[in-house]
Amino acid sequence: MSIMDHNGGSVVAMAGKDCVAIASDLRLGAGAMTVAMNFEKIFPVTDRIYLGLTGLATDITTLRDRFRYLVNMFTIKESRSIEPSTFAHLVSSTLYSRRFGPYFTEPVLAGLERTPSGGFKPYIAGADLIGCLNFAEDFIVAGTASDKLFGVAEGLWEPDLGPEDLFETISQTLLNSVDRDAYSGWGAIVYIITPEKVITRTLKGRMD
Amino acid sequence: MPDMSAIANPQQRQFNPYAENGGTILAVAGADFTVIAGDTRQSEGYSIQTRYASKVFRLTDRAVLAVNGFAADGNMFVKKVKQRLEWYRHNHAKDMPLRSIARLIQTMLYAQRFFPYYVYNILGGIEEDGTGAVYSFDPVGSYEREACRAAGAAQSLLQPFLDNQIYFKNQTAARGYSHPAHLPLPDVLSIVIDSFTSATERHIEVGDGLEMYIVMAKGQTLPDAVTNLLPEELPSTGDGERVFVLKRDLKKD
Amino acid sequence: MNALLSKFSATDADSEIRTAMDLAEEDGLTDAMWGSQAGFGQLVQGHAFNIPAVPNPTAFLRLHTDDHADPNCKIKIQHGTTTLAFRFQGGVIVAVDSRATAGSYIASGTVKKVIEINPYLLGTMAGGAADCQYWETYLGIQCRLHELRNRERISVAAASKYLSNLVYSYKGMGLSMGTMICGWDKTGPTIFYVDSDGSRLKGDLFSVGSGSTFAYGVLDQGYRWDLTDEEAQELGRRSIYAAGHRDAFSGNTCNLYHVKEDGWRFIGNYDITKMHYDGPGAVPGSLGSGYGYDVRTDNRFSVLPKPVSA
Repeated sequence: MSIMDHNGGSVVAMAGKDCVAIASDLRLGAGAMTVAMNFEKIFPVTDRIYLGLTGLATDITTLRDRFRYLVNMFTIKESRSIEPSTFAHLVSSTLYSRRFGPYFTEPVLAGLERTPSGGFKPYIAGADLIGCLNFAEDFIVAGTASDKLFGVAEGLWEPDLGPEDLFETISQTLLNSVDRDAYSGWGAIVYIITPEKVITRTLKGRMD
Repeated sequence: MPDMSAIANPQQRQFNPYAENGGTILAVAGADFTVIAGDTRQSEGYSIQTRYASKVFRLTDRAVLAVNGFAADGNMFVKKVKQRLEWYRHNHAKDMPLRSIARLIQTMLYAQRFFPYYVYNILGGIEEDGTGAVYSFDPVGSYEREACRAAGAAQSLLQPFLDNQIYFKNQTAARGYSHPAHLPLPDVLSIVIDSFTSATERHIEVGDGLEMYIVMAKGQTLPDAVTNLLPEELPSTGDGERVFVLKRDLKKD
Repeated sequence: MNALLSKFSATDADSEIRTAMDLAEEDGLTDAMWGSQAGFGQLVQGHAFNIPAVPNPTAFLRLHTDDHADPNCKIKIQHGTTTLAFRFQGGVIVAVDSRATAGSYIASGTVKKVIEINPYLLGTMAGGAADCQYWETYLGIQCRLHELRNRERISVAAASKYLSNLVYSYKGMGLSMGTMICGWDKTGPTIFYVDSDGSRLKGDLFSVGSGSTFAYGVLDQGYRWDLTDEEAQELGRRSIYAAGHRDAFSGNTCNLYHVKEDGWRFIGNYDITKMHYDGPGAVPGSLGSGYGYDVRTDNRFSVLPKPVSA
């Protein structure tokens, strides 16, 4: 078994119309044994950026703290909050700095990017464990259920979904995918990011 | 100086009679029909061997077999199943019932327990009681009757989608309503086509063409919505079940 | 002279038939395959299996099928299970999960892991799905033949020994099964554990599979000989739930059987997630509420807000 599968877990992010969504399961395992059902993998970076981390749990925790430090330093030096596209490159360069002894984690980020006209544009991105960025217009998946997520998201997602429709789409995608993955599931959490507010919902998922 | 490394280092060779030829198959059972589908791409590694190689085969008027995995094993296996069914027809003057074909396939696969056929089989058709049925097998013959099953390269992409759309998994019906136990044929066909288009987008081994076999129970006719898609009817021996084939193009990149 | 001639002639009809018969023999085709024995007949003839023409067939099979040694091998044999059976005052309880996994992919959530050998015998399935299905069906045939020959039902001891001896004759060739043969015979309720290594153990309580440790935890804690039928059935369900909850390779649903003097009875199929949140439903022996820790503690253990339904 790969070290990326040891703790299990999956994350998916989707772009909608003037909103983005990011969701994850809540399992933390040790191989086949489920240890915890409240292990969150998605963290707020700013009030408009959320970062999801899949892979080895110890690296998820380490990177979460590391990115909090780096973003705080950015905010102090620049006297402004970081934009999603800037943060994506911060993630990329942080991961690439460990090119030959990587963090075993695949990040997914979702946020709203400020446009020159003062509006907001959906922004989602993913990266591999050494920081190769992947900008997608539709959705990003990562984790032990990534192949299942690809299949369901490709079938359910459509352009320009509003916040509630996007919530339904990302929830159905995640729940049905993790139900076919032995290492993911045991509950789920969804964040819908809109210009006005962030909606957080905990889902009742299969517990086996 | 000749290359001495071949002599200096121990050499090891292995007998490997198996290859993986990609592709995906899928079957859905309805109340009085069954749809069995497969893409037509055959590949090895990153190379496409052919864009048209059938993975779905009609066995009798009411049984269709889809095979996926190693194409050579698959084709040989279908040939041997057809042969056994023909012998049965000569001995009993009737076609073998679907559930018996399922058991036959189990014993034929298990006979190769120590030199397995590298083939995942899905058998679809109409049971003796007139209901649609799908049987899925592992390479050494364990089997189960189900309502829907995907197998092959993109099974992990398709199966959770089908769980959601066919079994209505993780969906709660509105108060006072319930989910249908079986979907009508036009709905099933559009889900099957959507499934394969999705798999073609996200899996390199799936694409080129789609073949859907529709087995209709005795006395059932195709709904207008399906007749309009112009399926080809395969000649049947009696006036019982009927088999139709519907072909669609899939992306070739 | 004519006979001699035809024996060596390569063209006449006799020779054609002889060639065809030779070919059929080589292919393992016998009269049994033409009739209703559905291929099981082959076994009686003594040349059941095609073996690859390599110096070490076992190593060949392991190379291509063993996903513990090589997760990328092509032929994936399904693994992962929780099964249990125990004997008590009121008979035998048999409870199993219904999940089949191939690597991390959940290949099926509706597997029948209790094999109904005949109205008095049950077999459970752990390890290779095909090995268990095939050999326990075959065992059913042999048990029926025993009845016809001896005018009485086969004992659980004899049936399990038949299976044990059979798999032992294939020892080292890669069969994988861990099964419990459960039934009621002249001696009363009986369980035998039989596996493909050749072990055959008689006992009161067994659990087999990747989730067995979790099941044993609940089972050992709640087991007594004088359990009522309802208590025993609830213990079986609760143990499979525990395994389904904690073991990634077990889950989906629980199938419950009860064997009594007049044969086995199917008690029910219970969704494990439903048992977690709401309990097994209005069934005898159940408390009527969910088994889940978060449900029993009303979510007070969790740092998370209460879940909302989708």
